[in-house]
Amino acid sequence: MTTSTQTRWQRFFRGRDSAEKQFLAGAISPLVFYMAFWTVFPLLWGIALAFFEYSPRQAGGFLGFGEGNPFVGLQHFENMLNFSGDAPLEVQQFHIGIRVTLLFAVLVVPLNLLITLPLAFLIESVNDKVKGIFRTIFFLPVLAPSVGVAIMWGFIFHPQRGLLNAVIGEFTGKLVGIAWLRDSSLTVWGVPVALFAIIVAYLWQDLGYNLIIFIAALQGIPQGIKDAARIDGANWGQMFARIIIPLLMPTILLAAVLTMISAFQVFDIVQVMTDGGPDDQTQVLLLNIYSYAFRYQKMGWAAAVSIVMFLLVFSISLVQTRLLRTEWEY
Amino acid sequence: MTASPVSRKSLTFRINLAYFILVPASLIALLPFAWMILSSFKTLKEIRQIPPTFVPQEFTLDNYVRVLDDPDLPLGIFYRNSAIIAFANVIQVLFTSSLFGYIFAKFEFKGKKALFWFILSLMMIPHQMTMIPGYLILAKLGLINNLLGLIIPAAIDAFGIFLFRQFARSIPNELLDAARVDGAGEFYIYRRIVLPQLGPALATFGMLTFMFNWNAYLWPLIVLTEKNVRTLPIILTWFSNQQVDKTNLTMAASVLVILPVLFVFLLVQKWIVEGITFSGLKG
Repeated sequence: MTTSTQTRWQRFFRGRDSAEKQFLAGAISPLVFYMAFWTVFPLLWGIALAFFEYSPRQAGGFLGFGEGNPFVGLQHFENMLNFSGDAPLEVQQFHIGIRVTLLFAVLVVPLNLLITLPLAFLIESVNDKVKGIFRTIFFLPVLAPSVGVAIMWGFIFHPQRGLLNAVIGEFTGKLVGIAWLRDSSLTVWGVPVALFAIIVAYLWQDLGYNLIIFIAALQGIPQGIKDAARIDGANWGQMFARIIIPLLMPTILLAAVLTMISAFQVFDIVQVMTDGGPDDQTQVLLLNIYSYAFRYQKMGWAAAVSIVMFLLVFSISLVQTRLLRTEWEY
Repeated sequence: MTASPVSRKSLTFRINLAYFILVPASLIALLPFAWMILSSFKTLKEIRQIPPTFVPQEFTLDNYVRVLDDPDLPLGIFYRNSAIIAFANVIQVLFTSSLFGYIFAKFEFKGKKALFWFILSLMMIPHQMTMIPGYLILAKLGLINNLLGLIIPAAIDAFGIFLFRQFARSIPNELLDAARVDGAGEFYIYRRIVLPQLGPALATFGMLTFMFNWNAYLWPLIVLTEKNVRTLPIILTWFSNQQVDKTNLTMAASVLVILPVLFVFLLVQKWIVEGITFSGLKG
């Protein structure tokens, strides 16, 4: 390239600079304004709400703060630490919410992995043509609206008309009328049966995600490693426990964290199937926030609970970023 | 194949065992769908029968006729509402994600790093953090019970920008520069050169966005409280709560809401599966 053409190019691109600047300014400034209004502003407002007694029905000053919606400082957060029996109802419900949500997530994650991992392994081991059919069948519920899933399962668990009691009746030869979703006296190992019923529906819908992630990861394992193990005489169980699981570890950890994060935010299925009942046994945190903010209009309190929930989810997300940064070596 | 006869035998055994578990497991997985569909063809009398039947004894289409005729349940309107929200959000999110993903991948400007990290950190914030103030803002703007209330705040998807930045990086700079030399404007380059290169990503992310919007429940439940602006998932629970004694109608309505779209999703399943495996994205 000669010098003259080089300068011509330079001149050309210098001329482009203003066009590029215009394009960037035209795109980036709306983005910044939009995000300031629809993300930063609500975020700050949400944090501010947690320090007020706030109902949209009350009149107030700027953004409704003050007057009918008085500043209460850290009152909401102090109340959360009141574990005595005479704590206000919302505080007791908050404690229930934390407990139920943790219980739900702690049960869902291992159950999910215990089903999806072997299932992915099985699906991966069959003929390519039928593989797709099985994968589709187990993935199908992911595509359905969770509300529809909740209605379907609510009908299955129905005491008189439900499929589950009918099947149990078929096997025992007796009429059974177990109220899976309504009877608060039913517990297994201290876990309410209604919560188990919700977990069943939730797992049924949620399995497909981890399943396809694991199938993809299994396909990524070099055939040579599997062949080598087989030649060395490894049987199926050894292969699964010693080769497959260690190789999939990064994927499993990531899937576990993602499953836990979404389990913490469960709402749809619970709200439709039990609405937190019976006796608050399935009162998960997000349902709690929803009820206090939009049914009882106690938005200050609900905003404070949202912050606690955010911190819970955020701490798990931090674990996730740590995991993603860790260098895994085969 | 160099595998020994022993391992070949164990392989066949393994595959047979796989079918032995997979076939019953998939039947169980399909059971709830089957139960819903079969129940939608039963008469109310049969549904109330104790113990219940599995296959309808008396097959009837009456439930569907009544649901489709129900003046209380103008399904067409709810389909339209759901479709407007989902399509609008897919279009705007694909536009903003690809445009800003491309900009973050290929341009240098002041504050780029800070802005990008800010967008990334937004991915960590769960939606319920901004749920309450989001509602209050919409209320102040008069957008409660307005479909726009579900569209306007949803124009930017932090995850989408991140995703498209990854894809846009692989577009060769020579291609963009060649277009510039030919005198193409920057927006023209985005539209005619960058967008076609991002085709598969657009399809995948578009399908996922559509699915999340179509199935969304909590946020529409908060914003759309009047009946005629509601979306399908909300109207379904509303209907099932109203019709306590009409499980047959609820099942027919559920089938009408779930199955057609499930079928469409099934056709484009490949894209959705790819999107989820690629991104680890969860609803």
